[in-house]
Amino acid sequence: MLDRRQWLMGAGAAAGLAGLPTIAFASAETDRRLVVIMLRGAMDGLSAAPPYGDPDYQSARTGLAIPAPGQAGGVLALGSDFGLNPALPKLHARHAAGELIVFQAIASPYRDRSHFDGQNLLENGSTQPYGLTDGWLNRALTGLPGPATAGRKELGIALAPAMPLMLRGPSPVTSWSPSVLPGPNADFVTRVERLYSQTDPKLLEALAGAAQANQAATGMGGAAGGDAFVTLMTAAAKFLSAPDGPCVAMVESTGWDTHAGQTGPYNVLSRNLAELDRGIEALAVGMGPMWSKTAVLAMTEFGRTVAMNGTAGSDHGTASAAFLLGGAVAGGRVIADWPGLRAANLYAGRDLKPTADLRQVMKAALRDHMAVDPGHIDTVVFPQSADAKPFDGLFRQT
Amino acid sequence: MSLDQAAIAANRFGLGARPGELKAIAGDPRGWLKAQLTPETSLPATMADLPKTTVAAGEFPKWLIGLGIVGKQGGDLAKLYQNGGKDMTGAAVAPAMGASGGPPLSIEQSYIKYFGPDYAAGVEARFTTATTSERPFFERLSRFWSNHFTISAAKPEIISFAPIFERDVVRPHVCGRFEDMLLASCRHPGMLMYLDNYTSIGPDSPLAHHPEYLPAFLRERMKGLNENLAREIMELHTLGVRSGYTQTDVTTLAKIITGWSIYGPNQAPASGEMFHYIDFAHQPGPQTLLGKTYPADGEQQGRAALKDLAHHPATARHLATKLARHFIADDPPQAAVDRIAAAYSASDGDLTATANAIVDSPEAWTAPPAKLKTPDDYLVSIVRALDGPPVKGIQLVALLDRMGQRPFWPPGPDGWADIQDGWIGADAVWKRLELASTLAQGYAAANINPATIAEAALGPELSPATAASIHAAESPAQGLALFLVSPDFQRR
Repeated sequence: MLDRRQWLMGAGAAAGLAGLPTIAFASAETDRRLVVIMLRGAMDGLSAAPPYGDPDYQSARTGLAIPAPGQAGGVLALGSDFGLNPALPKLHARHAAGELIVFQAIASPYRDRSHFDGQNLLENGSTQPYGLTDGWLNRALTGLPGPATAGRKELGIALAPAMPLMLRGPSPVTSWSPSVLPGPNADFVTRVERLYSQTDPKLLEALAGAAQANQAATGMGGAAGGDAFVTLMTAAAKFLSAPDGPCVAMVESTGWDTHAGQTGPYNVLSRNLAELDRGIEALAVGMGPMWSKTAVLAMTEFGRTVAMNGTAGSDHGTASAAFLLGGAVAGGRVIADWPGLRAANLYAGRDLKPTADLRQVMKAALRDHMAVDPGHIDTVVFPQSADAKPFDGLFRQT
Repeated sequence: MSLDQAAIAANRFGLGARPGELKAIAGDPRGWLKAQLTPETSLPATMADLPKTTVAAGEFPKWLIGLGIVGKQGGDLAKLYQNGGKDMTGAAVAPAMGASGGPPLSIEQSYIKYFGPDYAAGVEARFTTATTSERPFFERLSRFWSNHFTISAAKPEIISFAPIFERDVVRPHVCGRFEDMLLASCRHPGMLMYLDNYTSIGPDSPLAHHPEYLPAFLRERMKGLNENLAREIMELHTLGVRSGYTQTDVTTLAKIITGWSIYGPNQAPASGEMFHYIDFAHQPGPQTLLGKTYPADGEQQGRAALKDLAHHPATARHLATKLARHFIADDPPQAAVDRIAAAYSASDGDLTATANAIVDSPEAWTAPPAKLKTPDDYLVSIVRALDGPPVKGIQLVALLDRMGQRPFWPPGPDGWADIQDGWIGADAVWKRLELASTLAQGYAAANINPATIAEAALGPELSPATAASIHAAESPAQGLALFLVSPDFQRR
């Protein structure tokens, strides 16, 4: 049974934590890969990773609660307290393989309920919406150890037509999405480059990035059609697994703002989760042997109300769930300082209370996985984040 | 005569010059702009031909009935709206919608087959209106306000409303009053469905106490408040985020507009008005919003609150900032914002006076051309500059989609980005190169002179570097493509 302040971890992982150092590895690996998935629209963490062992879960979420494990459409259990939505079978298998950590009751420092402000803050890495004009993931790349950047033209890639804020900034990054038109010939591109170099550095920079990405994507084609997210994740694997490819990728997933129609066997939330599940699996498969050096972080700007709203959905809330997985992740556990779902324990009387900060995960991923200098993380990547101490022991030692 | 100012008027305020246009307006570029600020006497023919609101409202239910999954009773129709069909999208096949004798279609194929033609027609209507308009400043303002009051076909049940929302809600008020446009938006079935208000009911309303009034399948879905529309009215449509309102204000406005719903597709009155105020779903009693108490007055309570929001000083600042950002610079000059906000407030939210204040802002005529055209505006300006190679139907949809702007499909209720960082990713810039070189190759058969086209489109704004690049091109097609991707033509 769940108690407030109870830390939940798989026994094996907890035992492994004892001897871990709390600072970055002394000899950093330089072939690590990080994929950040931004779930835009506020994913309902209580449906994605249901706390089915909480005695208040069914009553607090009347209408939205996922049935208990073993029942039709029931939770995929991760131990006795938490589970995964039944639309996430492949993530469930990754958990069993010790590659997935589920975080619950986690949030960015943002405490209002605007999607756009919430996403902006989560992407810019400060404590204010619009507090910085570039993104934490890009700034992190300026603190990679020298060997990690050697021989790479681009350090990051966004699988999107336009550059998301999280990856904007001083480090060289590019973007890519599938194409249907014939590419322009090389002579034309050279002439355009020359023109841009005379009058427009911003367009020049974008064009240079595109030329690079297209070269890397040769043969990928324009896989169009239904499963757009899976296509993007497949492409991300191709970029990241190239020896001189970028070290980080950002992929966007939209449609999580489930104000209505969140119930029923084929509701939009289930469809989104199933696509997320397939997309992550496509990345894992596509990375091949590099998967053992890969970590994926999927997170959202905030969670949703605990109670169902008046229209069989949920409104904007506060804490949600996040997923960290990959061959490099010391997984097979749930990390939650569980606040409970009783009315008295809710944030502002309506939302799951945040008890962990997403920056604790992002900082750990940068420090322990990507070997970014901790001082750089605290000053440049996430300024004013001293209160958000990175989690220790999230990644395997090699 | 000022060709310089004519080029700014046609490009920064308009949708790009058509051949001959710069010379025609050079006598009085500002006068040309201001003369466009009159209400439309008749709709552009392509827009007038789009489906009526009542017809559009029936399309989604008709599609679902055609699938054979639901019957034709009124109750089922309401159920369709509730679900948005999402409960059914996992069904394997849609036998009734397949070609007779042919293989059955998946739900997704059926959706595309059913809605695709009307959607493409709506995209084409809007595009053609823009490429042929003699009042491009009016069109830019229509596009601006459509983006301000975004509804997106990303929500499947909205798709038939998306192409007609601008016609129904925006165009009648582009040169009218903001409060009227706001009210029209809040009463339109597209907005009421997109942001979920049509099923939001007062927690203490008679309906909440008597769920037996509802058919059984609706009881679960019409139980109480949904604050989605109320929040976006305050955050996006009027005051602007972080302007001082609280979560309590959001909840209060949500209560005030409970009961603002729509008729079922077969229930609309002869007037064609789809808005349906349902008093027994309305939260009873007075409500205090932003410190002011609105007495219990049925639908009037919401009208009064919206009117006050429209005239709030924060709304004036929010709208002026967005307008200055749209027409002048990503980081808009404060003097221009102040001037536009003052014009808005002094005129009680008259949008003609507000638009005139943009034209009268010296910053608009002196700022460097740093605004990057959106993909849609970019393609419109190409067609105008070339005087009309046809881009139509599904090809048009595909081109805009690949450049990152699938028509009527913005990612969220905040609409499309209005700063260059939203559009200048490596991939998006590359897609413009692909577009330009493909279009130019197709157009070169017309035996064109790219230098003449460039001169007619940009006049004195054409930079020496771009002119030299066109001059040095290996072929007319390449010269034209270089012009189309030049910073001079992509920016304004």
